[in-house]
Amino acid sequence: MQYQTALALGVVVPLASFFFLALFGPRLGKPKSSYVALLAIGISCALSTYVLVNWLKLSTPERTELTASAYRFDWGTLGSMPLTVGVKLDSLTVIMYFMVTFIAFWIHFFSIGYMEGHSDEVDHVSKYHRFFTYLSLFCFSMLGLVVSSSLLFLFIFWELVGLCSYLLIGFYFDRKYASNAAIKAFITNRVGDFGFILGMALVALYLNTLDLDLAAARFAEQFHKSAEGPAVGIFANSYTLFGFSVASLMGIGLFCGAMGKSAQFPLHVWLPDAMAGPTPVSALIHAATMVAAGVYLVARIFRLLTPEAQFFIACIGCITLTITALIAIVQTDIKKVLAYSTLSQLGYMIFGMGMGAWVAALFHLMTHAFFKAMLFLGSGQVIEGCHHEQDMRKMGGLRKKMPVTCWTFFIGVLAIAGFGLPGVEIGHVKLGLGGFFSKDEILAVAYERAFNIPELKKTDAAADDAGEHADASNANMGVASPFRLASDNQPAQHAETEHSEHDAHAHGDHAQGTPQKMAIAAKLPAIPKWMFFFPIAIAYITPFYMMRCWWMTFCGKPRDHHVYDHAHESWKMFLPLVILAGGTFFSSYQMFRPLIHDAAVIATDSSTVVAIDGEAHVLAEAGGGTMIMLNHAPGKNPHDWLKMGVGFSWLIGMGFAVLVYLRGLGLADKLKRMFGPIHTALEQKLYFDHVYDAVLVGGTVTFGFVCGLFDKIVVDGIVNMTALLGKFVGVFTGRQLDMPVKRGDWGIVDAIANGLAQTMLDIGSEIRRPQSGRIRMYVMITAGSAAVALLVVLNYHRLADGLQWLMSNVGTRVLAANGS
Amino acid sequence: MEHILTWLIFLPLIGMVAVLIAPSSMARGIAWMTTFITFLVSCTMFGPFLPGGAAWTGDGYGKAMQFVHQTPWIHVGNFHINWHVGLDGLSFPLIILTTLITWLSAWASWNFDHWTNNKGAKGFFALFLLLETGVLGTFASLDFFLFYIFWEVMLLPMYFLIGVWGGPRKEYAAIKFFLYTLAGSVLMLVALIAMYFASGTAMGDPGNSTFNIIDYAINAKIHDYFNDTTTKFLGWTFGRAMFVMLFIGFMIKVPLFPTHTWLPDAHVEAPTPISMILAGVLLKLGAYGFLRVCYPIFPEAGKWAAYAVATLGVINIVYGAFCCLAQTDFKRLVAYSSISHMGYVVLGTAIMTDVGFQGAMFQILAHGVSSPMCFFLVGVIYDRAHHRDLNRFGGLWLAMPKYGSLATLGFFASLGLPALCGFIGEIWVLLGTFNAGFPWAKPMAVIAAFGAILTAAYILWMIQRVYLGKKQEQYADFPDVTARETAILIPMAALAIFMGVLPKYTFDLMNGTLSDIIKVIQGS
Repeated sequence: MQYQTALALGVVVPLASFFFLALFGPRLGKPKSSYVALLAIGISCALSTYVLVNWLKLSTPERTELTASAYRFDWGTLGSMPLTVGVKLDSLTVIMYFMVTFIAFWIHFFSIGYMEGHSDEVDHVSKYHRFFTYLSLFCFSMLGLVVSSSLLFLFIFWELVGLCSYLLIGFYFDRKYASNAAIKAFITNRVGDFGFILGMALVALYLNTLDLDLAAARFAEQFHKSAEGPAVGIFANSYTLFGFSVASLMGIGLFCGAMGKSAQFPLHVWLPDAMAGPTPVSALIHAATMVAAGVYLVARIFRLLTPEAQFFIACIGCITLTITALIAIVQTDIKKVLAYSTLSQLGYMIFGMGMGAWVAALFHLMTHAFFKAMLFLGSGQVIEGCHHEQDMRKMGGLRKKMPVTCWTFFIGVLAIAGFGLPGVEIGHVKLGLGGFFSKDEILAVAYERAFNIPELKKTDAAADDAGEHADASNANMGVASPFRLASDNQPAQHAETEHSEHDAHAHGDHAQGTPQKMAIAAKLPAIPKWMFFFPIAIAYITPFYMMRCWWMTFCGKPRDHHVYDHAHESWKMFLPLVILAGGTFFSSYQMFRPLIHDAAVIATDSSTVVAIDGEAHVLAEAGGGTMIMLNHAPGKNPHDWLKMGVGFSWLIGMGFAVLVYLRGLGLADKLKRMFGPIHTALEQKLYFDHVYDAVLVGGTVTFGFVCGLFDKIVVDGIVNMTALLGKFVGVFTGRQLDMPVKRGDWGIVDAIANGLAQTMLDIGSEIRRPQSGRIRMYVMITAGSAAVALLVVLNYHRLADGLQWLMSNVGTRVLAANGS
Repeated sequence: MEHILTWLIFLPLIGMVAVLIAPSSMARGIAWMTTFITFLVSCTMFGPFLPGGAAWTGDGYGKAMQFVHQTPWIHVGNFHINWHVGLDGLSFPLIILTTLITWLSAWASWNFDHWTNNKGAKGFFALFLLLETGVLGTFASLDFFLFYIFWEVMLLPMYFLIGVWGGPRKEYAAIKFFLYTLAGSVLMLVALIAMYFASGTAMGDPGNSTFNIIDYAINAKIHDYFNDTTTKFLGWTFGRAMFVMLFIGFMIKVPLFPTHTWLPDAHVEAPTPISMILAGVLLKLGAYGFLRVCYPIFPEAGKWAAYAVATLGVINIVYGAFCCLAQTDFKRLVAYSSISHMGYVVLGTAIMTDVGFQGAMFQILAHGVSSPMCFFLVGVIYDRAHHRDLNRFGGLWLAMPKYGSLATLGFFASLGLPALCGFIGEIWVLLGTFNAGFPWAKPMAVIAAFGAILTAAYILWMIQRVYLGKKQEQYADFPDVTARETAILIPMAALAIFMGVLPKYTFDLMNGTLSDIIKVIQGS
């Protein structure tokens, strides 16, 4: 089977399951309807495994060939711009697809166990089938999103996963907070999509396509033309907003969509509330797949990003990962802790993407998907086992009651904490869980950007001076002209030689890459140092709050005996946990990273943008010229620095958590009192919700209310006044001027001349109380009117004369009066 | 069938006669059958409009009119009024929409006897059918005078349908509707006559005066004369004066701010099926008027007025959405959402590009499918609860699961969710506006895109108030949607999905004509 067919089929199968369950779900009931959904995602998973296994056997050129030859259908035309749809077949798709189907399959499996009790009931009515119907719809939408070859389709599926998220967060819609959370999620996402639409509009306008590959190609083409001669396309527009050029705004606009879906600051507020949904949903949608879609989007549009846009993305990611990790420290609801840690990890990914750590960010996405799904399922097991208790302060000591959950959860904690032994290798296998390597790599790239690249800039200053005149000619590319590639302005060959010289020099003390890529890297804006130190600090906090979560739940003494006595676990739920724990081990360096690296070769292959490879030796193997690799000069190697800086952060963070919580909550309470105001601020989630509710929601509703009043009082008021005036005039002309109708009327002109007015008046008063019995009369009136109209028509020549007279005389007189 | 289009227009009239003759108890059956047959007949006319059909000659605007029936009607002296009807890609989809929605509305009137206001079934169904003739005639007319007559024919039945069979404030609503529309038609009448004489002047011979709408656009002499800024009418530039008068006439029907307040009142008072027709078909006449009359005939004035028209469109989108947030009456909310959605149509039209026209036309059809569905959904619940106060509902999805699911689908279509019909029109209009050549177009697109957030807000809030929440005792024993109600909802739901997933087939019907119109506009 062709790979693209297999993938497309895998998308459609859950859709079929959705329609089947939507129609027959109520009849199938519990638990049969879940089997349909499980079977559907199972088929998708099998198909994706088939593709993955075969894909791994292919060589890079073969893959490139397949990517290029993937089929596209005509879906429609936007004006004259063809809109095509097809499967974007590359390593990134293959691996994302596999990750989604694999995790989704096991979460379906888990859900069957989870929904066995009363978890499927909404106001005491079983909505079992509906849950699996939505899950199938979600799988369809998510897979569709992954395979989309066009921005428009990405957006369509983007909104559909948003819909599923809305439906599933609000699954227990009998509870007000659940439906509120659902609305909040949808609308916050819409705010992000507002930017997405505008970004898409810019793509359509300047690149005249919505196909991802074509857009990237045209973007690069326009850039090079602009660099050589007068600026063209998107670079010709000198408009700026907040100092961002239009080219940057395009990327930022698209990224706004990612900010909504991946819940990045300032749109992060919906994700913690989204925990109102059933826990499997939190695991699947709000931890592993959908929220990662934002990162996936940035990976897909990477080639359309300017350095400024990347910088913006990195800033947002850095802010998000910092504040959400801080908030996570004080949460007491087990799902909320996980939610905030998800936010923080998403922040890491987005931060990495913005830094150019394309491979590292996606690698982190993959590893995170496994361990976070597992952590959420573990929490689901705990919550279900503890009779729907989510407050960790009431748990404790559950280790004995649910050992499998406890230890799989611990693996998850280790993974997210970044467990690993830096520098220790057994054979070629580096020791550590996936999270260790992925986070390490993101930080390594951040180090490179913060410290090594600015130096690169300094040594390149001479070359810059040489290209100064070219820079000047670039000024018309806009204030924040993104790529001032000094050397690229020279004839190509000249640039080549010049850079070869530089390159020779660079090999010793600089990052490595093709001359062209090095030139782009040299022009990247310097990132402030805090953007490196914040993530480092958070690398210590993450292990702390995760260990705190684990310790409070599973260790110590039971704090609430009702909860403790009730606690139990079932194999239906812990089997997926064990599988995903295994996945956490294997989703590691050895398995996923090479494939993602391979994906980068194609997905970042653009002459306008540079991805930074955090691991040098892989680059040498792949030989891909699409990335630059880190500086490995002694004393400059980020990994050396990080080994000491954060290599053991997991140990320190987790250890500190144990210290604090070793003897129950006593010490924690003391600390809480010590840091009173800070604790309160964090507990109140830094007051984002308060401000948004008061200003944005309150403002909108109030303004809506004002509009409603305006419509009722002013607009309708004017209408009613006009009507009243008309009525008055009618009465006045009809009765007072024309003829006396009753006592008190004046009656000036005789009745013959006022027939029309009188009739109008009569009709007026008659039709105020229309009743079916008088239909005949109305029909007669209508007929009469028609007859009058006909008379008018037949006397057209008089009318015509009159009008012509009007047009010739009045018209010219008005003209003359105007003096024109 | 040589004159199938003429027959199509008068089929409902035949039904009307039958309704009047037959006993009252048979009225609804006859009406159902008539509208159904009309729908089937209109379906047989698809052929030429499918890709490769006779309507696809590419000869230019008006050159490939289908089912044309032209015959002298009133010829007195120089005055030539013809019976001239025909269909192209602009009117045909609207004809199908009309016959479909009217049929479904007739079905929605099936429980007429159970209405609180159910006097005179004969009268109701007779007027109902007369209304369909009026609408079909307006869409099919190629003679401006004929267009005007049908426009007026449509007005009267609607007035009675609201004024007789409406709710508590029916008189107010009916008169408001009547006066508003009448005010518009008066302006249209003036423009009509002025254009007639001006066409004679343009041709150099009053004997060659014409009411032919297509000729106005494609006859070079007339078109140039109409769009010449030195041509005057009462001192104003002729084309602009005509454009403004016609525009006001049509904008009342759309309705555009500030002439929109008749709509919420009319909807609130009108019975459910009449609301369906009003929202699904009648509002489209205004937009159709823009696309058929205003823009192809007076492109110069269109460009001149573009900024104002687009502003009105954007105000409609945003202001309508804000007003929705303030509503507590379910039907009033849906009515304001109609106002908001029709804003996209106007905005797409105003920018005068192919993407804009495509988007506007698609939005017309999409709204024509989704808004009757929403109004019917409101009607279903009104039939059971006998009130429409949003704040008193809740938990209906638990009480009526099938209804809840269909309602979610309908309202999400209205919300503009991708893969449903509302999305395509919106995104086309937004992208088109953003990419239009006017300097003000981009900010307009940004504001209009902002409207999409508000749309989500008021619809989701409404869904929460009505369908979500705990089951309430007073609604707990409501029967779920009946077979009849499901049968009415399914075609609209299916169309909403079909148009959203495969918009190509809808675009195929109209894109040819729309690009012809764009050529006419650009040619001048």
